[in-house]
Amino acid sequence: MKKMLLLLLLIASLLRSSAQNQAISGKVTDEAGKPLAGATVTIKGTTLSATTDENGIFHINTGPQIKPVFTISFVGYESFDYTYKGNSNFTISLHQDTRTLGDVIVIGYGEQRKRDVTGATVTVKAADIVKKPIVRVEEALQGTVPGVTVQSVNGMPGAGLAVRIRGTASINNNNDPLYVIDGQIGGDISTISPNDIESIEVLKDASATAIYGSRGSTGVVIITTKLGKENKTRIDINPWVKKEMIAKELPLMNAYQFAIATNAQYATTGQPPAFSDAQIQSFKTNPGTDWQHALQDKPWVQNYQVSVSGGSNDVKYMVSYLHLDQPGLIINQWYRTDIARANFLIKASDRLNLQFNLTGSLPHNRNTWYQGDITDPFAEAYAWDPTSPIKDANGNFILESSHAALGINPIAQETNGLNDNSSTNLTGTGILTYRIIKGLTFTSNNTYSNSSNINRQLYGPGTSTYLANSSNGFALQNTSGGHSFQNSNYFTYKGSWGDHDLTVTALYEQSSGTGYNNWSKATNLSTYSLGYYNLGLGATQNTSSGYSSQALQSYMGRVEYKFKDRYLLNGTIRDDGSSVLTQKYSVFPSAALGWIISKEDFLASSRVISFLKLRASYGVTGNQTVGAYSSIPKINVGGVENATGYPFNGNQSAVSIYTPLGGPVSTNLKWERDNQTDVGIDAVFLNGLITFTGDYYYRKVTDLLYNLTAPYYNSGQNYQINLGSLYNRGFEFNLGATPVSTRNFKWTTSGIISFNTNKLLTLNGLDNVITSNIGSAQSGISILKVGMPLGEFYGFKFLGTWKSSEAAQAAVYGNKPGDSKYLDVLGTHTINATDDRIPIGNGTPKYTFSWSNDLTYGNFTLTMLFYGSHGGQIYSGTLPYTYGGLGDARNATNAGILNVWTPQHETDVPTFSPSSNNYINSSRWVFDGSFIKLKNIALSWHVPQQWITPAKVRNLEIYVSSQNVFTITNYPGYDPEVTNMTNGITQGLETGVIPNPRSFTFGLRAGF
Amino acid sequence: MKANNNRYLLAITTLGLLLATGCQKLDEDPKSNLTPSTYFKTQSDLDASVAAVYAELTPDYAFGFTTRMTSCFGADDLTTDPGLNKAIFREFDELNASSNNSGLINQWQGPWASIYQANNVLANYTKVTGSTQTALQQSAGQAFFLRAFSYYYLVRVFGPIPDITAPIAANARPQRDSVSKVYATIVSDLQQAAAWLPASWPSQPGRATSGAARSLLADVYLSMTGWPLNQQQYYAQSAAEADSVMTSGAYSLDPDFNTNWTTNNGPESIFALQFNVTAGVPERSFGSTSVPLDESGLDGSGGWDDFYPEINFYLNSPKCYRSWCTYYDTLKLLNSDKKTFTLVPWNSPLTHAGHPYYKKFRHGLVTGGVADGVKETSNSILSITPSTNKAQDFIRYAMVLLDYAEASDMAGNGPSAASYSAVNLVRERAGLPDMTPGLSQLAFRDSVVQERAWEFAGENGVRWFDIVRLQMLQKINAARSPLENPINSSNALSTRYIAPIPFQDMSNDPNWKQNPGY
Repeated sequence: MKKMLLLLLLIASLLRSSAQNQAISGKVTDEAGKPLAGATVTIKGTTLSATTDENGIFHINTGPQIKPVFTISFVGYESFDYTYKGNSNFTISLHQDTRTLGDVIVIGYGEQRKRDVTGATVTVKAADIVKKPIVRVEEALQGTVPGVTVQSVNGMPGAGLAVRIRGTASINNNNDPLYVIDGQIGGDISTISPNDIESIEVLKDASATAIYGSRGSTGVVIITTKLGKENKTRIDINPWVKKEMIAKELPLMNAYQFAIATNAQYATTGQPPAFSDAQIQSFKTNPGTDWQHALQDKPWVQNYQVSVSGGSNDVKYMVSYLHLDQPGLIINQWYRTDIARANFLIKASDRLNLQFNLTGSLPHNRNTWYQGDITDPFAEAYAWDPTSPIKDANGNFILESSHAALGINPIAQETNGLNDNSSTNLTGTGILTYRIIKGLTFTSNNTYSNSSNINRQLYGPGTSTYLANSSNGFALQNTSGGHSFQNSNYFTYKGSWGDHDLTVTALYEQSSGTGYNNWSKATNLSTYSLGYYNLGLGATQNTSSGYSSQALQSYMGRVEYKFKDRYLLNGTIRDDGSSVLTQKYSVFPSAALGWIISKEDFLASSRVISFLKLRASYGVTGNQTVGAYSSIPKINVGGVENATGYPFNGNQSAVSIYTPLGGPVSTNLKWERDNQTDVGIDAVFLNGLITFTGDYYYRKVTDLLYNLTAPYYNSGQNYQINLGSLYNRGFEFNLGATPVSTRNFKWTTSGIISFNTNKLLTLNGLDNVITSNIGSAQSGISILKVGMPLGEFYGFKFLGTWKSSEAAQAAVYGNKPGDSKYLDVLGTHTINATDDRIPIGNGTPKYTFSWSNDLTYGNFTLTMLFYGSHGGQIYSGTLPYTYGGLGDARNATNAGILNVWTPQHETDVPTFSPSSNNYINSSRWVFDGSFIKLKNIALSWHVPQQWITPAKVRNLEIYVSSQNVFTITNYPGYDPEVTNMTNGITQGLETGVIPNPRSFTFGLRAGF
Repeated sequence: MKANNNRYLLAITTLGLLLATGCQKLDEDPKSNLTPSTYFKTQSDLDASVAAVYAELTPDYAFGFTTRMTSCFGADDLTTDPGLNKAIFREFDELNASSNNSGLINQWQGPWASIYQANNVLANYTKVTGSTQTALQQSAGQAFFLRAFSYYYLVRVFGPIPDITAPIAANARPQRDSVSKVYATIVSDLQQAAAWLPASWPSQPGRATSGAARSLLADVYLSMTGWPLNQQQYYAQSAAEADSVMTSGAYSLDPDFNTNWTTNNGPESIFALQFNVTAGVPERSFGSTSVPLDESGLDGSGGWDDFYPEINFYLNSPKCYRSWCTYYDTLKLLNSDKKTFTLVPWNSPLTHAGHPYYKKFRHGLVTGGVADGVKETSNSILSITPSTNKAQDFIRYAMVLLDYAEASDMAGNGPSAASYSAVNLVRERAGLPDMTPGLSQLAFRDSVVQERAWEFAGENGVRWFDIVRLQMLQKINAARSPLENPINSSNALSTRYIAPIPFQDMSNDPNWKQNPGY
């Protein structure tokens, strides 16, 4: 790579020396004719440039071109292209830059000038999105929006990212924001190609999100896709390839070390050695199997995108196609997708616009269902016996070992087990806009979406299912699908009288969605040679099917009022009716004020403050985390473990269908309500050299929905209730600057920091609720406790080991030196689950931050994004399983066990003594999860214009980049960014989750 | 153009008005779900609901796996590995359990799940139309039987528990009721079941019968005579119920003790849970779970080493055909050639635990000479499988006989001829001589209790529950070999007779108090 850079630099310098001299002079002014000093004038397609003097005058040598095009740029003003017409001493006037505050942004059911927005809203533009070689839209938000944490919680291909806007506001919900794609509420962003996006707006405070009422409480992300520009037909291609690899491995023992450590372990419980001396000697020359390594892959990811866009006065269009092929970091795992899109805007008349957006995506994946569990192949790999080969002499997988992990050979499992999905998603949006009279517009936005998926699984010979019992081998197919429809109709009135500007919006909206599935499973197949393609081969066949439907009906009104172009007032109200709750309708209001201080006389002439706005808002939003039919008691069909029926006739013949009563249900379910107050400031200094945005917010969430587990005497199943309240409050700041802007070198930088505090206030009179069931082994590791944040870990406080000097004290607890020592909370002289479990850590970070930099030198641009998180802890379920002595991991594989306690060397790694309690739910496995990552670094080179123009190439850029380049952290696991997070409780828990890849990308962007 | 625009305007206004009037329905109709309001119309609805009461007892997390006896490891017929992942059993073996024990939860969860379904049946069966009174009563009778069956386990393991006999609201948090109140429900349920259930179900051996209800009632009464109720007046009722089963002639001891461990639903089986691997209902307390860690099959499968008898329990068992069937005391160790086996005695230093194991739980179901648990010959093991089709007997006729022997002895003034004859039927079948004649009342009782220990060694905690009702821990511990897992002497023995309420449900209700000592 270095060689290539050197070559590029060389070419650039050659070009400079070949230029000829032809002197031209000119003048640059602002709109009022005032000279602009320090503006940069560049001849397009070359590196020739000059700077204006204090009178706005520049002199430049044009080189060989007869009619050169000058690009004049100055901070705070729009760049301007001027074609030289042969006259000397010409004057060019620049317009104030409208990119920062003059832009029109999408606010949901309408648009607004950015300067007039009263809500806390952040925009991400297409130009920033395409900078990174991203696969998922959420990646575009990482480190770019204050108050938004975007965490790549799982390194599997195709995995979504966890996006949190202003903390965790719901226990049940996954807390991902509401995505609105071209007006479709709740759209699926995995079906969107990042390159097709024109802009992303992130709505953070309630005054911005309240227009989405019952679905707005986790924040809203509005995505608008691209259209073509008039009179230009453009073809853009954007291919890249990326080499991915695991950045960090756990320190595992080789076969020799493992055999010695295992024998030492057995000696403590008086068992005969597991390995003979001869075996141990042989491991000296045979290092055994590095399972962690053997399961890995270092794949090439490929991504190809092409788009064609253009238009005339009456029609604009953009069609695009994307192909992505993304193998995983472990073998036999991949994600592939094809996405096609066609957007058309037709001006049918002066009054009528019609827009049609059609998109289809075809994702396919294999074995990408692992959310992190001790039985996942990835987790088995770091806990498997290094003395066992992968295959025997005959080339067959060795499936089990008497040492280390209890589970099956992870490579056999990953090779032989198949869990494949292939989907088809189609979405069509039709938007009709009709100007009824001046100022009054009617819009109808209609989206129909249809998706289907087929999941096929095969767990035959060589998988854990088959190994446990060959008659349990199975193949299954589950076809699921659904369609949804949304119809939004609104009138917008815009009017101005003197100092008054008014916009009023009135909406009626209805939406519905229906889902179905057909599930067929064949067990105990007579042959597995046809894979999952013929279920008729099963000795037993089971089928079931399901259906679900829900609907929403809403009314919304909004008033935006502006007085003297500086006093802003915004009020909204939405009434949502939902089918899934017992109390159907709820009203969600909001109000916001804004004051553009810089428009006041006392600041209007300021040279320092270019723009200053204060904002304040309050509003209520809701959260519909309740599934359909949650308040209707159900009678299930089958459903006890895998049982299909009860064999009254003994095991010899068919079983009887059975219908157990489902769990109890709540008879009174309401929306979760999020009451949010926000105050903020937006400021621009020195014509845009420095920008600043700051916000404080307080969100109190009441009627928290929770899936409470009923006591076992009342089914032990979960039921939804409104359980209590919590708050999130925090500050978020974004400081942007352009420290250097010379004719050859420009540096823009932006720093973001977001603080959030989360606290549970009430729990329906209970002090706490202990939660459970993350993966198969982390039962009861989290607690919801009044006065503490969500995501609190719960367990024993580990104090290291009992030392020889403490033998007498240890004996009181039935322990001896070398045993684990835990905090005896109540001083009862026993350690037990009732008294001695306490909160032992929390997964919520205190603050997250990012720092991005763009450095441009001539045709080269270097971008860097640092991203970090501080103050959160991680409960690692991964590490205990590498330290052995647990049900599923009999012996240690982690090299850390070489440091085990001995009387001579009294460390805090406990021995395997039978009197030592090895609690998995202890603070021994809680670690500081703070980290700083160089998330992305990219170097791109714009191929000089005069090289490509003859080849009719509009734009050509070549780049190399790297993601997850390095991580600074004290966390001893794979990656502090990955977790088992599925809701507000489980953040910070990690067991066997595949880490984020480190990657190296080579790509180009070309326009024709 | 003007005309065009007006046309558009008209069309749009009409459309807008149409939509704004609202047409979205917000009522829910769960088309693919049965709901209680539409169910319980026919006898087949009821049958499927009754099947659920049984089915809830079959999973691993109920009575389908060895964890169903987790709290019973304090007895001398059950112990486990000193190391390995057997902490859940070892805690109880060492009389040092915690409410967080993940095996114990299965003893709580499974029976409650069955009770939950039984209450659903009993609350709704009268809604069924178009069936006969007899059919309805037979359905309800099974629910009564299984509710009592589950409560009987719960009350003996956990002591005071809520006595719930009808569906309750989602937010209801009932208090723990007294042991005597729970027993009253059990007795009443079993009396109802005995009255309504048929004597047999042709070709459906899995269903509860009136004989099963009476047999269980006999055992329940016997338990009521001991700790904690100590209501000795129930000896007579226990003897009477047992007698009614004996005189019905519906059951008899299988002449070959071993057949109980290789076949399903034999003449001796009064109530057994049924299993079927292919239907997803495996019985997993036979096969791998009882096999030593040291053993491997030729196919590479291994033993799980979950449970085995204590050394002195085994050594004190009288040598006879029954003990030969019961214990596995010669281990087959696979040689490094992976083809041949070395046979070693249980106490060989080549074994890791130095304990005998159970043989009777190894086979699983034997069909055509092939076992579905451990496939083996006298000197080799082909394969070891954890999931079997073996029915799990909870009431064998031998229990009725021994219940009768003890109850009739204690109800009167010492053993009658009938008492002797009942226990001797069991001893003769075991291959033992008759019991010493002329024993005193208490000596006879103790001998019968000891006989139950050997007859039901390792089965469903029969031995443990005898230890509990007769408060025998001190005596049992005195006879414990020093080679066993060490008992944690810091816990008061008197608190070890009941297990702690599992942590999850303790935390569900701040008003519940944990059992003393936990």
